[in-house]
Amino acid sequence: MKKLLSLALGILTAIGGFVDIGDLVTNAVVGSRFGLTLVWVTVLGVVGIALYANMAGRVAAVSGRATFEIIRERLGARAGLANLAASFLINLMTMTAEIGGVALVFQLVTGISPMLWIPLAGFGVWVVVWRAKFTALENATGLLGLGLMVFVVAVFLLKPDWGQLGPQLIPRIPATEDGTTYWYYAIALFGAAMTPYEVFFFSSGGVEEKWTVKSLGEVKANVLVGFPLGGLLSISIAACAAIVLLPQAISVTSLSQVVIPVIQAGGTIAFAFAVVGMAAAVFGAALETTLSSGYTIAQYFGWSWGKFRRPAEAARFHLVMLIGVIIAVLVLLTGVDPIAVTEFSVVFSAIALPLTYIPILIVSNDKQYMGEFRNGRLTNALSLVFLAIILVASIAAIPLMVITGAGQ
Amino acid sequence: MTDRKSMRAGRVVDAEFQLIDRQVIDSEGMPVVAVDDLEVSDVPWNTDLPPGTEAPIVENLLSGPVLGTRIFGGRPPESRWQRIAWKHVVDIGTALTLDAPAKEFDAGWTERWVRDHVVGKIPGGRHDPE
Repeated sequence: MKKLLSLALGILTAIGGFVDIGDLVTNAVVGSRFGLTLVWVTVLGVVGIALYANMAGRVAAVSGRATFEIIRERLGARAGLANLAASFLINLMTMTAEIGGVALVFQLVTGISPMLWIPLAGFGVWVVVWRAKFTALENATGLLGLGLMVFVVAVFLLKPDWGQLGPQLIPRIPATEDGTTYWYYAIALFGAAMTPYEVFFFSSGGVEEKWTVKSLGEVKANVLVGFPLGGLLSISIAACAAIVLLPQAISVTSLSQVVIPVIQAGGTIAFAFAVVGMAAAVFGAALETTLSSGYTIAQYFGWSWGKFRRPAEAARFHLVMLIGVIIAVLVLLTGVDPIAVTEFSVVFSAIALPLTYIPILIVSNDKQYMGEFRNGRLTNALSLVFLAIILVASIAAIPLMVITGAGQ
Repeated sequence: MTDRKSMRAGRVVDAEFQLIDRQVIDSEGMPVVAVDDLEVSDVPWNTDLPPGTEAPIVENLLSGPVLGTRIFGGRPPESRWQRIAWKHVVDIGTALTLDAPAKEFDAGWTERWVRDHVVGKIPGGRHDPE
């Protein structure tokens, strides 16, 4: 019974780890402009993240080494440091988007300007990272994040014309949009689904929870159930936008448009579920990105890290996170639009994907690290296909961003 | 030569591949540093070596400022070398394990400084998470 519970909780965390402000915003934007014609990208992203997160989790369970230790080990000090600089900055950008997202959710409920919520959100994130137990913070945000299920329910309550909605699933470029814009958003969605922090967090979390070879089944279950459920939530958010916002040509510029379909479907109660779910998912992602900022730097330099230690026993790790939160709050206080930060963060995540995923693929094939648990042929074949996709997305991202004016 | 006793006889280790850039863990399982570089014993340079010359041996694990010089070139001043003597290494796995706790090595000084001057002074910094 206890084992079942921990399995269920692990799956919940995987759902929470998947859906963040990037997925909320990008899916709503895409649904309101492209209908369901980009759903295939989310499906592709879910397969990709499940494949690589499982690999990173397996490496952590078998070798006890988390992702950034491996990146340095295999790339060496120089290339590892370049990778660290890029990964840390992009993670900081995601972290800024998540903390801003928390402020936006509170604005949605209270109507009070996010400027007042930003310092509070930053402080809240820091206090939880400073004091709360790893499992407690994971489970609470995972459980409350289930409120997002209301988006799935809303799709049905809205009674869409299925005969008209179904054919949208076939990938094609809508007549109202440019081909380049379509592909720009395809890359944004892919970046939102495969955001590197998910892997930093998943593998470091494995070390936090002291996974061993015996945990491999649990790792697989978390990944194979949790991430697809997260993908389902993402697709529902896009579907809600496609059903309600697209026909009325409402564009998504803030979270208030994201929840319009939910309110239309289920009124105040549905709105309450959506808000709790969004707050938990985004706050959870803010915690995960904050922890990831500490994980990446500490693992590169070989410092002591981890929530299972007292802050004083992982002093530099906690100092990095504290500085990271302060930077994120200061950036947000300049008045930059958190939605804009989010939109850029998912595209930059897409650019950075190879930096994280290539070293994981190399190490999970390493006999000395992995012994009998190294990748099988099927996993390697699939991983290579995804590596090709990741490289294409990474290379095409900046040219498409320039050509489309960031998707305008 | 006594330093080599701690090595298990007959095991071949590739220094570039299995030592450099690897995590170092103390006797209590606490991460200490990553191996930023290695210090090997001197060999006469640019001359022919007579037969029977001792092969160079790894004397110390290096960390700290030496990382900067490894990436950008040069050599840190003598006072800035952080060494962990090879004799303290008791195991080479996916991490290197030392035979003593981190506080016995100079390499942990930045961690101790941040703990004593910053993190340890913030309320709750010395308590277990709840």
